[in-house]
Amino acid sequence: MAVDVKTTPVPASATLRSRRPGRIPAERLRSFAAFGAPGLLIYACFVLAPIAISFGYSLTNHNPFNPPTKFVGLENYRLLFTDSEFLTSLRVTTILTVIVVIVPNVAGLGIAVLLDRKGWLYNALRTVFFTPMVLSSVVVSIVWTRMLDDEGPVNQALRALGVDQPPGWLSDPRLALYSIATILSWQMLGFCVVVYLAGLQGVPTELAEAASIDGAGPMRRFWSVTWPLLAPALTINTVVLLISAFKAFDHIQVITHGGPGTGTTATIAYNVLQTGLVANRQGYASAMAIVMLVIIAAAAAVTLRVLNRREVNL
Amino acid sequence: MKHRALLTALAATVTLAACSVGQEQTAQTQPGAAGKKEISFLVFETPNMTPQVWDAAIKRVTDKYPDISVKKLVAPSADRVSYAKQLLASGQFPDVMIAVSPAGFAESGAMAAFTPEELKDFDFPNNGAVNGKIYQLPTNTQTIPVVYYNKDLFAKAGISAPPKTYAELLDDSAKLKAKGITPFVVGGGKDPFASSLAWTATIATDVYAKTPDWMAKRRAGTVKFTDADFVKATTKFADLAKQGYIDKKDVARDYAATEQAFLDGKGAMYPMGNWFAAAGDDPKRKPSWEIGAFNWPTDDGSTVVPAFTGGGLSVSATAKNLPEAKKFALAYTMDQANLDASVHNDGLYPAVKGYTPPADTGAVFKLGYDLYQQGVQNKTVTQAFGWESGNDGMLPGLVDKWQAAAQDLITGNKSVQEVLSSLDDEWSKAS
Repeated sequence: MAVDVKTTPVPASATLRSRRPGRIPAERLRSFAAFGAPGLLIYACFVLAPIAISFGYSLTNHNPFNPPTKFVGLENYRLLFTDSEFLTSLRVTTILTVIVVIVPNVAGLGIAVLLDRKGWLYNALRTVFFTPMVLSSVVVSIVWTRMLDDEGPVNQALRALGVDQPPGWLSDPRLALYSIATILSWQMLGFCVVVYLAGLQGVPTELAEAASIDGAGPMRRFWSVTWPLLAPALTINTVVLLISAFKAFDHIQVITHGGPGTGTTATIAYNVLQTGLVANRQGYASAMAIVMLVIIAAAAAVTLRVLNRREVNL
Repeated sequence: MKHRALLTALAATVTLAACSVGQEQTAQTQPGAAGKKEISFLVFETPNMTPQVWDAAIKRVTDKYPDISVKKLVAPSADRVSYAKQLLASGQFPDVMIAVSPAGFAESGAMAAFTPEELKDFDFPNNGAVNGKIYQLPTNTQTIPVVYYNKDLFAKAGISAPPKTYAELLDDSAKLKAKGITPFVVGGGKDPFASSLAWTATIATDVYAKTPDWMAKRRAGTVKFTDADFVKATTKFADLAKQGYIDKKDVARDYAATEQAFLDGKGAMYPMGNWFAAAGDDPKRKPSWEIGAFNWPTDDGSTVVPAFTGGGLSVSATAKNLPEAKKFALAYTMDQANLDASVHNDGLYPAVKGYTPPADTGAVFKLGYDLYQQGVQNKTVTQAFGWESGNDGMLPGLVDKWQAAAQDLITGNKSVQEVLSSLDDEWSKAS
């Protein structure tokens, strides 16, 4: 249900004035420079420059332990797409990302709807759900490693329920990736809940009341009134989850070290670190990092474009 | 939309966070007074090597040389080699580091070589050489692995003595399994080396015992992982898992938990480096049952002792105070109390001329030490695969692939042939 609010027309003369580039007062330009330049400088130094440097390295065979460094053009990129280890990590990362984008989004929305009430209990529950988000990934990883250990509480509970051979959550190569995805989803759930709750609290009550007067039931009100107005929250959650999952490294490092076995939970970010700092092939690792950057940027841009179309303005 | 710019910035930031290679160091600084020469010292912590142990060891040297102050850097995990590479890449290479294999660092000129004069007090002064020079003090010998075993569980399975041949080992494993006892305790998780110790043992008995210079030949390209002897050693290891003598689920358990699992009696045999003695002899952790030890048996009952000598301190070639860094490294190594502490705290065998372990070493230490001494006397000490150093070691990055391959074999995720072919491929890529 789209709702448009008309704005007061701006006089044409005012619009024309503001569009003339040469008419920006010098004082405003000075203010912009004073306030904007430090931010731009930091962005250039810590975001743009490292990307440019990484790209430069990706065109070389840079190995600090095996000089000299030579320019190899796009050879690293060509090798990447025939490298089974990289392709495996791309598959692992894609599976992880799909799960981590869907599960916390769906569960977070459901929990947010249940918690969108007033009262101390609901406030307490919001805190409980958000707590994993503020914990360090390393702490979360250590806790879950113990939880999912064969002797840990999860398998002990399953044994108490009569399961003789509970799964090897982190030791079975077929399950380990899904266990990692569950842990990441659990940690990101609180973020989704909070964003959806903020969205729910921004839905005007009069719209739901109007729909109710028109005879819409709870489900109809949710899908026709609430859900369209939650589109910005969905956009934020989806993009943040997508990026978080695609760059997953610390959980893998602490819990499985990319295993069990060869590459079963090795994401691209993990592979970048291993290739660059264990195998010392830093030129090749830079090429991986650049490909990862392009994939994330493209995926985030497409997601933003698709989801922005759903958004409505009040 | 308003949040588009925010999201774009956020995307760039988190992406870069993922791509960044450095890690913040955890440092404990001993404040240096004016005039003191400060050096940084990279260490790592384990259940044996606690912060207190490191601090006390450092203090003994700085008490002796008050002109030196030490900034201690702690690697975020037991993998101090990767951390040292990160520090080197980010221009923060420590002045002194312990147990960091010089492979790669030495060839690139990052480490300073020790002179023959500086090495005159070591038993094996040329161990771990890189292009003929020594970049890591050959401080101690470690036997990797010794097979520690639970005498109570052996008795419960009706086994009266440790196995002398490989056939007896398999027979004992079958008896233990029949009694519902897990024959071998292994680990993995964030410490994948803990999955590979039994494989190191079979490679020692079936490859290194026959071809002591196997690694040099692999570097020369005259042998491969897919050769018959290596296939035999690997098949032995893989079959232990296939027979159910190694629990596949154990590959998710980290090293500290694995050590505790053995001490808790959750398995009968624990192939591990002799540093386990520190835990086995620790009065606070010592189990109520008796620990025994034997060398991994060969087919014909002959003795083979896989061992590695090295593990000592290295010095950065670009250390600001290079003479003090070297002075610290040598003083730390030769300090009698530090050598005794390495015996007590990490179960090591110092390879320093004239050194004898203190009389108050524990029973578990003595078990491993006696087995090693027998190997020395019988001249049956071999390299410990996956632990070699310098030109005797695998190419950079291969040890990790090999440890992951050990997990592939335990879980049955890959066949012996797949694993060994893959290692040959990785070797080609790395060379």
